[in-house]
Amino acid sequence: MSAATHGNLAIARPLRRPAEAPAAPPRRHLEIAPSRAQRRARPRLAHAVVTIAGIGVILLVQLLLSIVLADGAYQISALQTDQRELLREEQALNEQLELLGSTQNLTANAEALGMVASGNPLFLDVATGGVSGKGSKAVKLPDNLVGNALLDGSMVIDPAALAAAQAAEDASGDTGLHVVEGGTPAATPPAPGTLPSPTTH
Amino acid sequence: MIINTRASRRRLALTVLTVFAIVAVFVVRLVDIQVVRAADLTADADERRTMQVTTYGVRGSIVDANGVVLADSVERFDITAAPNNANLDDTWLTRDGERVKVPTTEAIQAIADLTGVDANSIYQILATDREAQWAILAPAVTLDVFKKVRALQIPWVYSELHPARTYPSGAIAGNLVGFIGTDGPLAGTELKQDECLAATNGKSTYESSADGVRLPGSTIVQQEAEDGGTIHLTVDADLQWYTQQVLAQQATAMGADWATAMIVEVKTGRILAGADWPSVDPNDLDSVGNDERGARIFASPFEPGSVMKVATFASLLDQGKITPTTQVTVPGIYTEGLPEGASLKDSWAHGDLRLTATGVLVNSSNIGTAILAQKLSTQVRHDDLEAFGFNSDTAVDFLGESSGSVLPMDQTDAITNLTQQFGQGMSATSAQIASLYQTIGNGGVHMPLTLVDGCELPDGTWTQKPSTQATRVVSEYAADTTVQMMEVVATEGSLKNVLKIPGYRVAAKTGTAEVAENGSYGSDRIVSVAGLVPAGDPQYAIVVTFAKPDTMRTSAAAAPAFNAIMKQVIKTFRITPHTNGAPSLPTVW
Repeated sequence: MSAATHGNLAIARPLRRPAEAPAAPPRRHLEIAPSRAQRRARPRLAHAVVTIAGIGVILLVQLLLSIVLADGAYQISALQTDQRELLREEQALNEQLELLGSTQNLTANAEALGMVASGNPLFLDVATGGVSGKGSKAVKLPDNLVGNALLDGSMVIDPAALAAAQAAEDASGDTGLHVVEGGTPAATPPAPGTLPSPTTH
Repeated sequence: MIINTRASRRRLALTVLTVFAIVAVFVVRLVDIQVVRAADLTADADERRTMQVTTYGVRGSIVDANGVVLADSVERFDITAAPNNANLDDTWLTRDGERVKVPTTEAIQAIADLTGVDANSIYQILATDREAQWAILAPAVTLDVFKKVRALQIPWVYSELHPARTYPSGAIAGNLVGFIGTDGPLAGTELKQDECLAATNGKSTYESSADGVRLPGSTIVQQEAEDGGTIHLTVDADLQWYTQQVLAQQATAMGADWATAMIVEVKTGRILAGADWPSVDPNDLDSVGNDERGARIFASPFEPGSVMKVATFASLLDQGKITPTTQVTVPGIYTEGLPEGASLKDSWAHGDLRLTATGVLVNSSNIGTAILAQKLSTQVRHDDLEAFGFNSDTAVDFLGESSGSVLPMDQTDAITNLTQQFGQGMSATSAQIASLYQTIGNGGVHMPLTLVDGCELPDGTWTQKPSTQATRVVSEYAADTTVQMMEVVATEGSLKNVLKIPGYRVAAKTGTAEVAENGSYGSDRIVSVAGLVPAGDPQYAIVVTFAKPDTMRTSAAAAPAFNAIMKQVIKTFRITPHTNGAPSLPTVW
């Protein structure tokens, strides 16, 4: 590529640039017209929105659900505690009831109220209106001799207190006894061996 | 360019290696946690999160024939404390709805007032071992007390459930019900029927939140708690009370050592009352002596005496050897067929008596009974006594039951051989005597003696139904005729004025047995009256026995109690008065 070599060379005329082909009119952008199905299959923004929103709603519902569930757990826990307490209460009351109903307590109360044991067995015959058997004097039972360490005498009624309560009730005009009215009157005589009794509650 | 490339490659390799190394470390750690130590860690986590609870099954109750509760399970609470958390100087407590800081002694006094435990001893418990995490302050307090202690909200006071047992009817049937100690059932039905009564405690776990609330759906039940079954006894609590009351009254009045009474339903063999005096109150084991906590009616055999003659007469009638009017000449002293020097006597002195078989029973003549008994072979006499249930346990199979003793023929001498026929030289329990009268009253058909009607499981099913296997011991004629002869005891015998109940027919037999002590018979007596009511169609067999009364040593001592119990049976079961008179049988000829 030195300068001495330049003189030996014929100056070559550069070739004319071939004429450009007449410029073709710019091609319009062509596109295959999508079929109806294709158009439908194309993803849409709406779908994305719906999906995202859906996930959001699901998460929200799940959250709410777990809040409600946890809340329920506390509620169940509280109710279970209540239930246990009430069951215990019931048991304690039942225990007291059994003690009140014990024969020793009943006899002690019966005696305190002045009741006595009957003597010979007697039967009223409803059919004949007669009494069968021979009566004997009622006897006062001796004090209870069958022990019960659970009773301390505090459950025995005081007749004086009872009388006072009765007097107060009488004064207020309430007898405390309510006989059910309107029960069908005994149209048929009761069968022999059964005793007619009023329905009370 | 080349240098750059090399450098960058090296750098890249280093980075990749580092990343891989880090990833490898994580992977190793991950495998370690998730695979190698997974089980341990999971268990550890579960332990922190999981609460284990014991659910208590309730021990079944024991009830009488009408459902009256004789033994019941109740909840009691142990008041406990954590001494290591308790500050002995001052502490917080809630008073009238306000949290206040008070001296610890004041808090202790508050607990002491509520529980009835001595305040000083509570202080000692807290002060003695300051490191202890648990100590019991007051055992087995009631719900009421527990609630009040809880309301104090003392930070170091806790509570524990303490299942306990209560006997609301006290000593009523205490001998039959038995009782429970701290480690479990100790006596009577409580122990015998433990299999039915016992509850199974359950186990479950749940996961809890930081504040102790159960996480929903996390409960795992490992074992369900199962309640025990209910034992239904055949006894009637009211009748049992009355029987015990009458026994106590009469035994105290006469200075008896002990007394028993039984009422048995003749058609079924069910024990309606089985009373002992003294009888334990299961709520208070110290209410009676150590050897009086059981059921004497089953456990203590004694020589029953003349109440046994009923068995002899039933055998004789069954074998056709006698009729109620068979004539016997009863001498004042009997030596025939006995070894040299031995003789039998009656309880009263007499010359030759001309008695019918009925008369022998009514006068309770030992000599007459011995003369008649010899119409039977010794084999038949022995076999019949065993068939009536002597020498073997009753079907009740009560805890510690005794079978009494009737010696086999080859072990008895000529005298014992005869005395067995009137209840000496042999022994029997009250239950066995009651069973004999049940058989006689039931037309000669023995029903197994029953104390337990069954076990009602929590789901309503019944198990342990008692046997109803009937066994004929003697013919219906023999049994019914024996009852008729016993009726003459009540109408013409020496105790007729005490035994009779206006309007009712009663069959009875008395017994005054000598008590063998140190190998010879002394002056002590065991007196009994046994009988059936109503005599026309026996429904209830009653046996009353008093041992070693001081003031009166004949069966007259037992008759008033027998009469009172019989009247109560009539009232309880509404037995209607009889309409036809008692058959009349001659006692002399």
